[in-house]
Amino acid sequence: MIATLDPLVADYDQLLPVIAADGLAGFEELRAAAIRRYRESGIPTTRDEEFKYTPLHALTETKYRFGYGANLTREDVSGLLVGDIDAITVVFVNGQFAPDLSSTDSLPNGAYIGSFSDARGFEDEIHANLGTIAHFNNRLGSTNDLRFVDLNSAYLGDGTLIFLEKNVTVERPIHVVHVVSASDVAALSFPRNLIVLGENAEAKVIESYVTHAGNGVTIPVTEIRLAAAARLEHNKVQNESLASTHIANIFVDQAKTSVYTSNNINFGGGVARTDINAYVGGEYCETWLNSANVATGSQIIDNHTRIDHALPNCQSFEVYKSILKDNGVGVFNGKIFVYEDAQKTDAKQTNQAILLSPTATMNTKPQLEIFADDVKCTHGATIGQLRDDALFYLRARGIPLAEAQGLLVYAFAAEVLEKITIDEVREKLEAALFEKLGS
Amino acid sequence: MLTITDLTARVEEKEILKGINLTINPGEVHAIMGPNGSGKSTLASILAGRSDYEVTGGSVELFEKDLLELEPDERAAEGLFLAFQYPVEIPGVTNTYFLRSAINAIRKYHGQEDMPPKEFMALVKQKAALMELDPAMLSRSVNEGFSGGEKKRNEIFQMAMLDPKLCVLDETDSGLDIDALKVVANGVNALRGGDRGILVITHYQRLLDYIVPDFVHVLMDGKIVKSGGKELALELEEKGYDFIKEELAAKA
Repeated sequence: MIATLDPLVADYDQLLPVIAADGLAGFEELRAAAIRRYRESGIPTTRDEEFKYTPLHALTETKYRFGYGANLTREDVSGLLVGDIDAITVVFVNGQFAPDLSSTDSLPNGAYIGSFSDARGFEDEIHANLGTIAHFNNRLGSTNDLRFVDLNSAYLGDGTLIFLEKNVTVERPIHVVHVVSASDVAALSFPRNLIVLGENAEAKVIESYVTHAGNGVTIPVTEIRLAAAARLEHNKVQNESLASTHIANIFVDQAKTSVYTSNNINFGGGVARTDINAYVGGEYCETWLNSANVATGSQIIDNHTRIDHALPNCQSFEVYKSILKDNGVGVFNGKIFVYEDAQKTDAKQTNQAILLSPTATMNTKPQLEIFADDVKCTHGATIGQLRDDALFYLRARGIPLAEAQGLLVYAFAAEVLEKITIDEVREKLEAALFEKLGS
Repeated sequence: MLTITDLTARVEEKEILKGINLTINPGEVHAIMGPNGSGKSTLASILAGRSDYEVTGGSVELFEKDLLELEPDERAAEGLFLAFQYPVEIPGVTNTYFLRSAINAIRKYHGQEDMPPKEFMALVKQKAALMELDPAMLSRSVNEGFSGGEKKRNEIFQMAMLDPKLCVLDETDSGLDIDALKVVANGVNALRGGDRGILVITHYQRLLDYIVPDFVHVLMDGKIVKSGGKELALELEEKGYDFIKEELAAKA
């Protein structure tokens, strides 16, 4: 039995009461079902299609443990990307809510932003939505691999709730920070985020994953429900330490005329995997998936996206970019399903990678399955080096080779960062990108 | 300032330049004219340091330095500027950022500090006005979505910003209507004078109505076959390149 050797669940029975004590009551069944399903399958291997390019042997070889009780100060956290920005801030350290590091005062009426455990009066919203967005029931085509979603649900305790009632707009950015602080043994955590925007509500969220010390094994799940005409800018920034493992699953459920924009930025992690699954279940929606990834050294950055166009007249635009240096590996799998009823769907997918060394690798797989006849769906993938003509042009103006390369690489990713409308966040990411490429 | 001696070059197996000799002294404006395929653009590319061509013999000296030993960026820093026939689009890099990087790279090469931002912006404003450039273009990506005329104007604008010692204009008139041609020529003429050398490479005499050269050279089949004053350009315009071919045949 593989399951009994699986270190991710080896101490599950002892840990469960600790975690459950931090969360809300009423999720016992969800946890029990999730651990049962997870134990049936265990840690995926590269023989599993969905994890073909995501080697997870670190999960069985690395030692890690729960890291509750870490005591960090604001100074410990403020220097980590994207740092101390002007935002409503919810901080978790090693998966545990850190009220002293958070600031969630002066919220507008009809808004709750904070931990599950403090969400008095909003328990019903959590119960109605948690676990009901992260699934593939009644979806077309092959379903995705849900074992890390199950694993996260099995450990469900506290989490972040962002809830906006109908017509509520939160102007200030909302920053959800997940910090890892570990010593010699990596910290294991299962962050859970729930974002529910009512009709015509609007918010800008930054979900960041950073390391204060040591390494982490971080397995987050984020569920997002957008009611009619709701608008969300969802920036996910992953800049964990280079021996960390990060396996994130994001689920989005869009009602009619809602607009979801994802800016998915990965600079860190040893193995960093993000799955974004958007179910477009209403007409006239927009879904924007943008992503910039930089893998250097021996980093592996894997992105899987899936857009289900279930209803007509929707648009999706997807631009995924990767810069790969040294032995860096990039993976992109982009699925788009257009259902039989989803006429007039306009879906555009682009995946571009720049390889800066002969030992860098990109694996790309667009996957379009279209069951409607009156649709516009395009996809394109390019993998290449920097353009020689552009390099020569820059050099002909006096810019030395290394600087010219840096400028072009920077520009390639900066095109994605430009989509982030929170100036402070974009500028910090631009600076971080510049630094990462320079090293 | 520029001395080209017996320069031969090829691309892959094809011999393109078959022994070029040309000297440009400070302050002179030279024009090289020639039919398609004569090697005009090859010469411009070799001077700027494009790697698609293999120099097989001869030498090029810029201010007594061996130009062919220098990297393209070092050539630019030494004062050589090539206005491209086909300016390159660079998405994601704004014109302003590009120019600041270029100016400061050249200053660094000469051991100077970065140009103070205020001074830089003043210079941009002044030179953009000279080239009748829309200031909004400066915050756009380099050449991205520019019309043919805008791209060529942007080349001369960059030239004005970088203040080079030797300017090489490669078919700068191609694709320009007469109004755009005048703006470009005015920009070039404003940079004339002093010790600056200018080499205009063109197929047609038209540009030379506005940028009047001191010397005209005819390049055919990889060699300069005839040199003269500005009147040679007019003669070429009138009689076409065939009369030179006939002259050459008569001599042979």
